[in-house]
Amino acid sequence: MLGNDIVDLDLAKIQSNWRRKNYLDKIFTAEEQLLISSAKRPDEMVWLLWSMKESAYKIYNRKTGIRNFAPKSLDCTIYPNIDQIKGTVSIDNDTYFTKSDIQLQYIHTIAAPVYNKLEKIKVTIYTSPNHPSDYKCTKPGCVSHHGQYLALVY
Amino acid sequence: MNKEEIIEALKTIVEPYSEEVLALAHIDENTDFINDLKINSANLVDIVLDIEEKFNIEIDNDSMAKMLTVKATTEIIAQKLEAHAG
Repeated sequence: MLGNDIVDLDLAKIQSNWRRKNYLDKIFTAEEQLLISSAKRPDEMVWLLWSMKESAYKIYNRKTGIRNFAPKSLDCTIYPNIDQIKGTVSIDNDTYFTKSDIQLQYIHTIAAPVYNKLEKIKVTIYTSPNHPSDYKCTKPGCVSHHGQYLALVY
Repeated sequence: MNKEEIIEALKTIVEPYSEEVLALAHIDENTDFINDLKINSANLVDIVLDIEEKFNIEIDNDSMAKMLTVKATTEIIAQKLEAHAG
């Protein structure tokens, strides 16, 4: 099972005001809020953590059949590297492994239940208006759509 | 506040976060915020905060976890209002 989540940073800027009172507290653990407040680019950290949670939730949801909105129970840890950002997201007794790609216009995270699966995931990202209408035929392992972007993983 | 009044107030709250005009017009208990109204999950937090402000109640994390449909949300608001009044 695979997960993936893309955040269109231009749209996120318009769509969400994470500086709103109590907003961060509803979504992020104390440790995650500390990462945001100490980040050089807090916007980037907010959406990085968010995409990690969403991509892990997509696996968790299919695996357990549980559908809920409990972002704070998805607990992120980031292991920053020189060229890539890897992390884990834990919920209940499960841990999912993530790898994120931060670009100027989007943040994309892939998630897998096993660490060494991450390197085997194939990612395709389309920018509108070039979204193929028949992408479902290609049987992606997970689909994420936000703003201009359509992200598929196999 | 009865159920219909809560749903009516809820409709006003969710409107700015959805572009699904038809689904908004036909909002009822069975409406799902994500599947029907196509609300971005990051905006669900805004809806929860708007509800807290509008109804002057506090939504705990366990309650928020269930708030994916109009039905579940209406029930939680009614419960919290009752607890408040009592």
